[in-house]
Amino acid sequence: MTVLPRSARSVGRHVLCLVIVAVVLYPLVWLAFASVKPPDEILSRLSLLPTRFVFDGYTKGWEGAADVGFGRFFLNSFLVAGLSVAANVLSCSLAAFAFARLKFRFRGALFAFMITTLMLPYHVTLIPQYVIFQQAGLVNTFVPLILPKLLATEAFFVFLIVQFMRGIPRELDEAATIDGCSVYRTFWHVVLPLSKPALVTTSIFTFIWTWNDFFTQMVYLNDTEKFTVPLGLRLFVDTSSESNFGAMFAMSALALVPIVLFFLAFQRLLVEGVSTSGLKG
Amino acid sequence: MTTVRTPDPPVARDAPARVRRRDRPARRRKSQPEAFAFLTPWLLGAVALTVGPMVVSLYLSFTDYDLFTAPKWVGFGNFAHMFTDDDRYLQSVKVTLIYVLVSVPLKLAVSLLVAMLLNTRRGGGGFYRAAFYAPSLLGASVAAALVWRALFMGGGPVNEVLAFFGWHTPSWVDDPQFSLASIVLLGVWQFGAPMVIFLAGLKQIPAELHEAAAIDGAGAFRRFRHITLPMLSPVIFFNLVMEAIHAFQAFTPAFVIGGGRGGPADADLFYTLYLFEVGFQDFRMGYASAMAWVLLAVIAIVTAIVFRTAKLWVFYDDADGTGERS
Amino acid sequence: MRRTRERRTLVALAAVVPLLLTGVAACGSDSGGDGGDVTITFVWWGSDGRATLTKKAVELFQQKNPKIKVQTSFSAYAAYWEKLATQTAGGKPPDVLNVDTRYLAEYGGRNVLADLNTGAGKAISLADINPELAATGVYQGKRYAVPWAQNTPAMLYDPAAFTAAGADPAKGLTWDQYADATQKVSAAGGFAARGATDFGILDTTLEIWLRQQGKQFYTPEGKLGFTADDLRRYWQLAGRFRDAKGTSPADVTASYNTSPEQSPLGKKLTSSEFAYDNLLPAYQKANGKPLNVAPYPTDAAGKTGQYRRPSMFLSVSARSQQQEAAAKLVDFLVNDPEVGKIVGTDRGLAPNLKVRAQLAGSAKGADKTLYDYEAGLEPKLGAAPPVPPKGAGAIQKLLQRTYEEVAFGRMSIDDAVSRFMSEAEKGLR
Repeated sequence: MTVLPRSARSVGRHVLCLVIVAVVLYPLVWLAFASVKPPDEILSRLSLLPTRFVFDGYTKGWEGAADVGFGRFFLNSFLVAGLSVAANVLSCSLAAFAFARLKFRFRGALFAFMITTLMLPYHVTLIPQYVIFQQAGLVNTFVPLILPKLLATEAFFVFLIVQFMRGIPRELDEAATIDGCSVYRTFWHVVLPLSKPALVTTSIFTFIWTWNDFFTQMVYLNDTEKFTVPLGLRLFVDTSSESNFGAMFAMSALALVPIVLFFLAFQRLLVEGVSTSGLKG
Repeated sequence: MTTVRTPDPPVARDAPARVRRRDRPARRRKSQPEAFAFLTPWLLGAVALTVGPMVVSLYLSFTDYDLFTAPKWVGFGNFAHMFTDDDRYLQSVKVTLIYVLVSVPLKLAVSLLVAMLLNTRRGGGGFYRAAFYAPSLLGASVAAALVWRALFMGGGPVNEVLAFFGWHTPSWVDDPQFSLASIVLLGVWQFGAPMVIFLAGLKQIPAELHEAAAIDGAGAFRRFRHITLPMLSPVIFFNLVMEAIHAFQAFTPAFVIGGGRGGPADADLFYTLYLFEVGFQDFRMGYASAMAWVLLAVIAIVTAIVFRTAKLWVFYDDADGTGERS
Repeated sequence: MRRTRERRTLVALAAVVPLLLTGVAACGSDSGGDGGDVTITFVWWGSDGRATLTKKAVELFQQKNPKIKVQTSFSAYAAYWEKLATQTAGGKPPDVLNVDTRYLAEYGGRNVLADLNTGAGKAISLADINPELAATGVYQGKRYAVPWAQNTPAMLYDPAAFTAAGADPAKGLTWDQYADATQKVSAAGGFAARGATDFGILDTTLEIWLRQQGKQFYTPEGKLGFTADDLRRYWQLAGRFRDAKGTSPADVTASYNTSPEQSPLGKKLTSSEFAYDNLLPAYQKANGKPLNVAPYPTDAAGKTGQYRRPSMFLSVSARSQQQEAAAKLVDFLVNDPEVGKIVGTDRGLAPNLKVRAQLAGSAKGADKTLYDYEAGLEPKLGAAPPVPPKGAGAIQKLLQRTYEEVAFGRMSIDDAVSRFMSEAEKGLR
């Protein structure tokens, strides 16, 4: 390595990144422009720019559907996604700690079972699960959307955190144990802080996936007042009658804002990660 | 049900090798109450919400069940039908296998490369990270599907660029020859999730290791090969397993882009898409359940193989010193 | 050792089965009572605009029936059926529901829907509904549904383009004239856009074409009413249009979607398309040009083959605990003149002939085009076909899929026809 290339490489890196950004973001830019096209151009005009800018999609879209304002859908989505994040981080990190650090009977079998639950397409378990919530009188509430997360049924995240926890040097929690820490204290004061990148990743994914999830929310929510953003978006579009694609695109673009902000806020924590949290020893 | 075995971390290093096996149960019992305390939420969820529905679907896979009237026991009839009398089933298997084999390596390679490009303390990292993650924010919504369609439409940007190089293509999404490729590209375009996981994994690698190796004169490629890859292997392993499982179950991209059917002339008839059609539109939930369990078996076998090979290439810090690390 | 552990896990799993199955079998029971206030649930499919109108109608119903509270819910067409299937499988379908003729046999034939000829359903008045239209809700002798609106399969077209090609579809064309006209329309635009959307994929068009020859799509016994040879001739007809470039190329045809905005005509890729007359305003908005409705092209005999089609039905759940209130709502939505005014032609024409006559008098714009079209066609309309059998939804997709193989040149017509016939036979067992 010579001395000069450092800045040259940095420029090269930026150029490469910008090229990728252009390719990757073009479809999103297209979406943004589609949201201000006149109705007869949205699906038939291929060029990026509209012939004239129309903001009807935003005004009509924000009015929502069937007398329920779109703001309501946003609030509902915030509630569901926010609670899901808290529930998932808590429950999945608990289970992951047990799998990653503790020894107990049936560990192998339980872990295998957990992974197995990821493999069955959810379409066939949907109806039995629906029956459970229906018998409990919880259909048309947010409970079926959040309770499963509080009970760590999303094995993806348990597995994710397990993988990260196993990467944490064992000397650290062994040292804590020798210092007289209980398992609980070791979990809370040593392992959990060191798992921050995994927890941040879990938060980001949970928020975004819940925000975008359509199928479960569609099945469990009935009242338009309880609808979330993905459900609200589909109210604008129907294959058997007249649709409002302008409003759909406008609200789709708007729905990206909270998740972009959430991502921006949390990815900072991701950067800090372990490198600044004292894993030097 | 096939059991997947995680590479068991060998027991305490201080125990003499000879007594390890006997020593195990005693040590296990020691942390058991705490372990189950930590596992309580997950166990409750598994028993109340997961096991039951799974068993029900297993039972239904041996029945003829139309959703509205009581299931009728048909033994292995559904399974036999699948392989002997259902051309569309075989088509769905073909489509899914192609998708898994092409999209998984492609997506992992792209996301790892981009993550390494981003894993630097120099400027602009936040912006790029957000920009690269942006496509994944869109999820598989109606809007995403329409955008994708517009990109690959006759006269759309992709066709124009290809035409510039002398290759004239039809509307990708609507042509049986190109349709699957457009869905693979959609999957790869949304590489944000594995990228973030790789990035989080890269952040866990102490910078000192790289610095020390650089001082020792190791070039970028050697450092990648001997530090990054082994240190990142648990995360690569995770991403590989998860992306493979997701690819086998791919549903939403084909569902929204194909307008809820298997695309032009069944070119995008993904396994779970067909399963969904059979279960919810043709009211043959017994057959759909049987399909689901065959898929589970296949994924379990593939995952088990990946887990077995993991011993050869995945290094955990809690392992007994075979890792490059110590 | 590992093996015994597995076995134990399996035993534990198996123990939960009976628990769950009793859950599946159990039916929900609503509280609610005699004389007191009752709550019923009512669901339909459609978009936001339709929902606003329907909710207004429901509000009016609640004003007139203060003891009945109606909980409404709606979704887009595809999501609607997924949700309804889940709710029904869970044992609690909504009290009043929107049903499509393609799914009437699936739900009615499995005792999900109440027979409205008996019990509370008798309160629903059919006196002012055309008997042929009303008969479309009867399957195997039981009245599972009441038509909520009437529409007619029609050709939607761009009059300017066809006038320039020297044809006037509104006056009625023969298939030969239509072929000629579409070729000219395509040629006028340099074949970039086409004269018509390829109709080889459309089951409704096949049905009308069969009826023009005195045949039918399904027999009353629920079998296919046509032979391999009929289908071959139909696809050869479509092939003639396609080879002359009168109809859309294969990739445009494959993008077809029943949504007016996403269909080739809505996207300005063709100048005519077979759809339903009540979709005219939606098509017009998407296409941007003034469009018109016309009857189907005919053969030399001039038989149109068209019929009064129930654009959608209303049904009452057989498991509803509030059958009387549910029947009352159905009767109100179908027969009340105020409702007719509120909902307009969004779903099609009002099923109640008296209400329809009142509305026709004051119709304007696209509505007027619709009423005039239906009035002109009225004497030519034939008897409605029998209710499509279980599996009809899959047949529609099968037709689309196999014809695509032909359009893309991946299969000969003969091979595609034999694949269609064998798969259809399996599907309709």
